[in-house]
Amino acid sequence: MNNVPEPRTPPQAALKSDRLFINLGPQHPSTHGVLRIGLTIDGEVIVKAVPDIGYLHRGTEKLAEVRNYHHCVVLTDRWDYVAAMPNNLVFCLAAEKLMGVKTTPRADALRVIMCEMNRIASHLLFFGTYGIDLGALTPFLYAFREREMILDLFEMSCGARLTYNYIRLGGVMTDVSPEWLKRTTEFVEYFKPRLDEYDTLLTYNPIFMNRTQGVGIVSPQEAVSWALSGPNLRGSGVNHDVRKSDPYSGYENYDFDVPLGKTGSCWDRYFCRVQEMRQSVRIIEQAIAKLPDGPFMASGVAKIPKPAPGEAYAHVEGARGDLGIYLASDGGISPFRLHVHAPSFINLAMLQEKLVGMKVSDVIALLGSIDIVLGEVDR
Amino acid sequence: MTNDEVFAKISAKFPMVEKAAVQVKDYLTVRLSSKDDLLPFAQWAKDSSFDMLETVTATDLLGPVDMKGYIRQQNFNPFLPDGATPQIESAPTTGYPYRPAMDLLWVFFSVAEKARVFVRLELPREGISAPSLVPLFKSADWQEREAFDLLGIGFEGHPNLTKILTPDFTQGHPLRKDYVHIKDRFDE
Repeated sequence: MNNVPEPRTPPQAALKSDRLFINLGPQHPSTHGVLRIGLTIDGEVIVKAVPDIGYLHRGTEKLAEVRNYHHCVVLTDRWDYVAAMPNNLVFCLAAEKLMGVKTTPRADALRVIMCEMNRIASHLLFFGTYGIDLGALTPFLYAFREREMILDLFEMSCGARLTYNYIRLGGVMTDVSPEWLKRTTEFVEYFKPRLDEYDTLLTYNPIFMNRTQGVGIVSPQEAVSWALSGPNLRGSGVNHDVRKSDPYSGYENYDFDVPLGKTGSCWDRYFCRVQEMRQSVRIIEQAIAKLPDGPFMASGVAKIPKPAPGEAYAHVEGARGDLGIYLASDGGISPFRLHVHAPSFINLAMLQEKLVGMKVSDVIALLGSIDIVLGEVDR
Repeated sequence: MTNDEVFAKISAKFPMVEKAAVQVKDYLTVRLSSKDDLLPFAQWAKDSSFDMLETVTATDLLGPVDMKGYIRQQNFNPFLPDGATPQIESAPTTGYPYRPAMDLLWVFFSVAEKARVFVRLELPREGISAPSLVPLFKSADWQEREAFDLLGIGFEGHPNLTKILTPDFTQGHPLRKDYVHIKDRFDE
């Protein structure tokens, strides 16, 4: 005889608990900057989440209105300081469209190499810190070892490690040396086997998979409605990559794939980024192999450019998604209006809805998987 | 889908929507005739594969930006000759039609067709407001709040139209061309 007692259903009134308001951030390390989320929790379940941003708002869109176009490139570095090369690039593309400047093939190839290197550096930072967020401290050390090498290469090419100002209107700041190309090739050869190492460290780690698979699922329809971009959109299985759909700087000449996720969970978004690093390595190899000769700076860019009145929009696939610049000119020496379509800002907006109903322990898993940089959220 | 095909589709459905005089370079730019057109247009866009609202923003056309909107300090660069200023002052450009209006911009993107359409609507600056697209596109939520905070545009029907980027004590809307900075306790 099976003597299992009937499960006792407690009276509902006895279960009622007080709601508790807790602050996540703005100084919590796992918010990756100064993001504050006001969480209202009932037991362990979140009933309301209010993200509070703006702690890092520097008003760069307004500052640009009293600077000339060359000076504005310096401002762009400060948006997404983890991947500043695409920021430089997108502003230069928009301004070049406005001025009608055409870049040289060598400048295009150098821009592609730098942006893809920066994408790897940015995804490595994500890979390392996402592991830390979820309690895996080891991958961080490996990720930063490799990221350091990329930053050293950037330092060698332009003198800066974080805010490069390397991509300039009409081309790039300076040509790369043969020594730099040799070291970059060596780095790529060194880096390729490391990606398999990362998979054994974190990607297929059972604890990590349990924490992230099936958590924070974003359906393709939701992803499009929230206008997500980058790995967050592709993690939901929506095939959209600016490098493929609206190619710039000669991306149409490179052979690479767009990794897609299947379910849209945190693990899918993570996996997209890890796979993207492999594709970036492919692009860098191709770009170095067929690096064209010639000038690295186009002629015809004025010292103080005064583009004719008009409007231009340029966008690139940054490390965090579709980074766009809307630029309007009234014929003066400063932009009349500069608007940044900042992927971190737009990706973050889904948090207020997606967090509701989740457990407190999953908040960091979801927040980390969106991969925001607060400098870009607040601009 | 090329820009002309998209425009043919739009003008078949909305004959009053015309191509903007100033096109955003390389992209199709259309201009709505009034703000009543916005909601039907957005609904049509959502139904006909333009299912992503990428951008909501605006341009203030009042004139060159007011320098009183910036916090500026004396530059102590000893290498500059007397009277020289390393900083740029805003100046009007002759021939540009400055006017007391704002040019609103919405960007719709079709993920399936990889097509993009820029929608513009010019409204007078006084008491400016436009219909909110939050019921149709979730991405409008924070971007409309940003436009409200920085440009002072009201969005009718927005569920939570509050400040998002500037601090609570900031008065005015910084991206308006006539914004004047009022000193607060952080300026000292």
